[in-house]
Amino acid sequence: MSDAAVHTGSQMKLYGCPTCGRVSQLLRPPAGDAPLLCPRCATPLHHRRPRSLQRTWAYLIAASILYIPANLLPIMSTSNVFEGETLHTILGGIEELRHGGDWMLALIVFIASIAVPLLKIGALLVLAITAQRRSRWKQVERAQLYRMIEAVGHWSMLDVFVVVLLVGTIRFGALGGVMPEPGLLAFGAVVVLTMLAAGSFDPRLIWPEEEDKDRPS
Amino acid sequence: MSEDTLGSTPPPPPTPPEPPVRPPTPVTRKWHGPSLVWLVPIVALAVGVALLIRAVLSTGPQVTIDFHSASGLRPGKTEVRYKEVVVGRVEAVTLSEKRDHVQVTVRLDRSVSNIAVEDTRFWVVRPRIDTAGVSGIETLFSGAYIGVDAGESTKQKRHFTGLENPPFVLRGEPGRGFVLRTEDLGSLDVGSPILYKRNRVGRVVGYNLDPLIDELSVQIFIEAPYDKLVNSQTRFWNASGVEVSLNSSGLKVDTQTLASVISGGISFERPQGTQGLPPASDGSRFKLFSDRKSALAPPDGPPLRVRMVFDQSVRGLDIDAPVDFLGIEIGVIRAIRLDYDGKRKRFPVEVEAEIYPTRLGAVRDSMRQDGDDDKRRDTTLLQRLVQNGLRAQARTGNLLTGQMYVALDFPGKVQKAELDTSTAIPAIPTVPGTLADVQPQIAEIVAKVNKVPFDEIGRNLNETLAQANQAISQLRPEAQASLAEVRRTLQSVQETLQRADRSLLDPSAPIQRNAEQTLQDLQRAAQSLRVLTDYLQRHPESLLRGKPDDAKIPASPERR
Ligand SMILES: [Zn+2]
Repeated sequence: MSDAAVHTGSQMKLYGCPTCGRVSQLLRPPAGDAPLLCPRCATPLHHRRPRSLQRTWAYLIAASILYIPANLLPIMSTSNVFEGETLHTILGGIEELRHGGDWMLALIVFIASIAVPLLKIGALLVLAITAQRRSRWKQVERAQLYRMIEAVGHWSMLDVFVVVLLVGTIRFGALGGVMPEPGLLAFGAVVVLTMLAAGSFDPRLIWPEEEDKDRPS
Repeated sequence: MSEDTLGSTPPPPPTPPEPPVRPPTPVTRKWHGPSLVWLVPIVALAVGVALLIRAVLSTGPQVTIDFHSASGLRPGKTEVRYKEVVVGRVEAVTLSEKRDHVQVTVRLDRSVSNIAVEDTRFWVVRPRIDTAGVSGIETLFSGAYIGVDAGESTKQKRHFTGLENPPFVLRGEPGRGFVLRTEDLGSLDVGSPILYKRNRVGRVVGYNLDPLIDELSVQIFIEAPYDKLVNSQTRFWNASGVEVSLNSSGLKVDTQTLASVISGGISFERPQGTQGLPPASDGSRFKLFSDRKSALAPPDGPPLRVRMVFDQSVRGLDIDAPVDFLGIEIGVIRAIRLDYDGKRKRFPVEVEAEIYPTRLGAVRDSMRQDGDDDKRRDTTLLQRLVQNGLRAQARTGNLLTGQMYVALDFPGKVQKAELDTSTAIPAIPTVPGTLADVQPQIAEIVAKVNKVPFDEIGRNLNETLAQANQAISQLRPEAQASLAEVRRTLQSVQETLQRADRSLLDPSAPIQRNAEQTLQDLQRAAQSLRVLTDYLQRHPESLLRGKPDDAKIPASPERR
């Protein structure tokens, strides 16, 4: 479709309220930095989420940094009287499952714990870079990508839940138990940060408008 | 696709949109620099780096150790222990290039990184029943581990050759090591306790077989201050198991600690009158006796070999049978041979024995004449005894089993004889056996046996059996009753099991209900987490700034 035929809210100076749904039109250009408020519920009105790209970048960089310790450090330790304490990393656990012949389980854990966070970070990087460059490349596909990231967001916490459940249920005192390790903290933070990054990204930035030039972030 | 329902040109707004209202007091932003959200990656970087640094700092040096065999060593599981404290873990076990040994890669803890120096020793402790203490129960199941003895050198080293046996003495451990020679290890093993008055004062640290002299060397370590109890006269014996001795004074059962019954052990004692001797030096060698009795027996000195030629059958005389002198055991039979005497056309039996002249004690001291050589002096002593009427005689020691021994005695009326010293081994003259003495006793016994009223006993026995039969038949209904009881018990057990089955599997069972409830709780928790994430998606800034205050009521409401 040609963008020329599209009328957007910002072109028509129309503001939709995200809280109460009221549509307002800006009649006079605002003076200074004062925020526009919804007349009905006083929610600040924006054409774009404020500082959306900046936030996305911040969360994304944080997530990428923590992705390294999340995979290098053990996420939990198990101990029992027979073998003493054993540390488990995510990759080590996958390798153990694969070695033990549980191909399916290994694949599931790999997808949920390694591939999905990595793909999410990668996809968000693509979105953020293209939005930053005001690119008009494959806009519909990028919007699809954004919706996918949104949908898949909650499911990567699986590992964290499993470890927390194990820590809570497996307690045999001196005989053995499961303890969380620092890698779990990093892993949980990666998942939360990618969710925040996806949440703060404004998909409307996929269709850049003249107005966005003034407010790049 | 949505083009049909949603036109690209906007429909006119249903109500004329009103201008957004600006509040009368413009909100002034305090922060004008870069967004506070950039604190998030900075914190993440700090946390990530801190986590990695901590992980790197807590891992110590990696060392490789060569061993002959990897038996019991498992990568990621086998521990490295220093003084029974875990200080590292085996990371990998690989075969050397030449395939003649295995290379074990060990990751040491940071706290003991200074342990990897030139004179540090590593060895493998294989699984065993460890009764070193009450806490040994857990090591009962623990697999092999690598023991380490920290060196004192300051020169760092990363490649070690592991010891095949635990080191003799651990560095810095107060005490002394000794070597015990033995022919049989029994149930002794590395770690077996050394006991003194049934107290654990040391342990076996290793053993090895010397193929040249066909003897085992057992290395023991006795902890300070008990090492001072060992002097040159200290006797060690194998205290493994239960010692049962049956003699004229009755049955005597002697056990050391329960631990030593299971895993073996060594006891030692200082013979009477040797307590004042100075402690033995480190590494002294001792003989390990098989039991306390032989350990504490006075030393025998060199044995004297003698021959005895018997004209009668020596059925019942075995190798190792004792040689008696007036009731005192002074030697043992070492060999029994059949000979042929061509002159007399007879088959004499030649018995060879070892006697310990020192066991004669005062007799030896008072009767021995001076001479240059101990053996010759003992031979002349024997010669004088023979001249005085000493003869060897095969006697029955045990009437029931017919076992015999050789007695050296003075039978009285005997022909004059001399000690035959024509061969290298002197021959003691013999007299016929004591069967003649035994015969009257046997006759007496037979007479007594005859007096036993076997007929009567038989009759009585018959009666008793009949009565027993009767008693059993009377018991029968009761027995049946108790059988029925047993059957009932079994039935109720079965019922209990079924009930247990039901209570576990029934959907209304408490366990099931609890599980269901827990799952529901979990679901609720997930839901609230979802609500939280939804909120965070809409208000990510609330992570940093907290939940914003309730919106202020605008000064001018909607309808002015
Ligand atoms: Zn509103």
